[in-house]
Amino acid sequence: MQSIIERIEKEIASWTPDSGSEEVGVVRATGDGIAEIDGLTDAVMAEMVLFDPTHDRTLEAALKDPQPIYGLVLNLEEDAVRAVILGDASKVHEGMLVRRTKRLLSIPVGDSLIGRVVNPLGEPVDGKGATGANEMRPIEREAYGVIDRAGVNQPIHTGIKAVDSMIPIGRGQRELIIGDRGTGKTSIAIDTILNQKSEPEEKRPICIYVAIGQKESKTAKLVAELEARGALEYSIIVTAPASAPAALQFLAPFAGATIGEYFMEQGKDALVVYDDLSKQAVAYRQMSLLLRRPPGREAYPGDIFYLHSRLLERAAKLSPEKGGGSLTALPIIETQEGDVSAYIPTNVISITDGQIYLEADLFNKGQRPAINVGISVSRVGSSAQTKAMKKVSGKIKLELAQFRELEAFMQFASDLDAETKQRIDAGRRMTQVLTQKRGQPLPFEMEAAVIFAATNGYLDGFAPEAVAGIEAKLQEYLSREAGGVLEAIRTSKEIREETEKTLREKLDAFVSRVQTA
Amino acid sequence: MIDQYSRLLRSVAQLEDASQAETAVKKLVAHLKSSGRAKMLPQILRELRTIMARRAALAPRVEVAHKKDAARALKAAKAAGIEAEEARVNASLVSGWRAIGGGKLVDRSGKSALAGIYKKITA
Repeated sequence: MQSIIERIEKEIASWTPDSGSEEVGVVRATGDGIAEIDGLTDAVMAEMVLFDPTHDRTLEAALKDPQPIYGLVLNLEEDAVRAVILGDASKVHEGMLVRRTKRLLSIPVGDSLIGRVVNPLGEPVDGKGATGANEMRPIEREAYGVIDRAGVNQPIHTGIKAVDSMIPIGRGQRELIIGDRGTGKTSIAIDTILNQKSEPEEKRPICIYVAIGQKESKTAKLVAELEARGALEYSIIVTAPASAPAALQFLAPFAGATIGEYFMEQGKDALVVYDDLSKQAVAYRQMSLLLRRPPGREAYPGDIFYLHSRLLERAAKLSPEKGGGSLTALPIIETQEGDVSAYIPTNVISITDGQIYLEADLFNKGQRPAINVGISVSRVGSSAQTKAMKKVSGKIKLELAQFRELEAFMQFASDLDAETKQRIDAGRRMTQVLTQKRGQPLPFEMEAAVIFAATNGYLDGFAPEAVAGIEAKLQEYLSREAGGVLEAIRTSKEIREETEKTLREKLDAFVSRVQTA
Repeated sequence: MIDQYSRLLRSVAQLEDASQAETAVKKLVAHLKSSGRAKMLPQILRELRTIMARRAALAPRVEVAHKKDAARALKAAKAAGIEAEEARVNASLVSGWRAIGGGKLVDRSGKSALAGIYKKITA
């Protein structure tokens, strides 16, 4: 009690009357989370404003609820400004005083955000108290220019054989994950986050998962999974659930990018997953229509492309002079009935450096992940692959594409020649090898060894339908008896001659052991 | 269209010379009649009332906690660039005064000071 009295006395003694003036406006009208404000003639675009609930109340009432409500200026009009309300809009009323803050919408960033779940304003929502992050950064900023960037040449391993071998992703790249609902888009992103656990700590990227318009139960489940698998210790979750105002859903990816940039500028690597940008586009459309901006195609505003391009352009691999950090972006887009030619999907496809296309048909056939290899691509290509992976995965994509063609042909032809049958069986085997269950990412050296076995004919003696079981045994065998080989691949990132020799010996031994058994 | 007429009327309302304003209104009414838009007049009037109400909400005002502070508050507010004819008593200010006008707020009230200290202590 004494300490409280002392503190109050200290505050009173140190209090000096404010000698300046503030720029203020008055709420003219409010509704649907938008406020029309008179005054604020000098307000700037994307500036934060404060709706002051204490101004027209008695001191007693003001102290009961002193928290201001933030707003974001998004329309500067001839005689008023329009702002989206970033809090409880029901508390904002006509005639309410609005104060300028003279700062752009900023969020706190810092190392202490790691392991936390925050909202797009950087406020904790995980019940673990204040985040302790105190460096404020504007959530909208210009992306790095050409001079500040370096080429993307380091891989970020997803732990998914099909991705790492055929659609390699580099640190600083923007790779779109696209597909219908329920085809495993989020699973690929989560597996990528989980797989970073196998990276050495100094090279492990900080992973930021941005949940936009998702069910809170889904986000809670995801956080629990990351925590259980020890991945939360290098992850940050930014959540703007379906129940959050459209403004927060629109801001969430920018908040994720801002947090990622903080780590990138420290010379670290960061990975940010935007799950998903379709919902962000819908939230932005809602906001734009309420702000009375003219609607365009599918009622989206004219700047919907710029919304996504300015966000994704912030992913970068910085030059050594700038610290050499990177921000990799994995945006997710949900398609309707597999239509990749819709407005938002085509926009984001054209912005990103490639896409992983997941197909419902493949998913229903049991292929996991349900990646359509034919139209999935990584424009960074093999420059973001380790030598080891390059060596083993050379022709997989071409062979699989040929297999898909033959497979289609097979449906009509009953009598196939031996060579065609052999090719089809090889394709089936490879498909089985690339099949991987959710939540089981593989370290890169294991991926390389398994794919080496598949592409060098070590699995040819087995029936295609038996390959999945054989592969599981092979992984077990390699981790038990070929630790040295795996270690050599992990450290050197390539399969040198002597390593290859030992690996072949081990694989021969494995095949003969399985065949005799 | 109504918006344009309302804007016109708003600029008319800013005219200091009453006769000039009256002439302008007469001309507007005549113009509306001749162009067959006389039925717009009630809407224009409504819009004008809205504009006037908005202007009144933004009009400079000075509030004091106690009547005796009025003269001092009006003088201080004028020095800060906010000129009002009279000061209104607002007991919720606890002490001191505050003035709003021209998109500016000068708050020298006890309520503001106490709320500030409360925020600092409870932060």
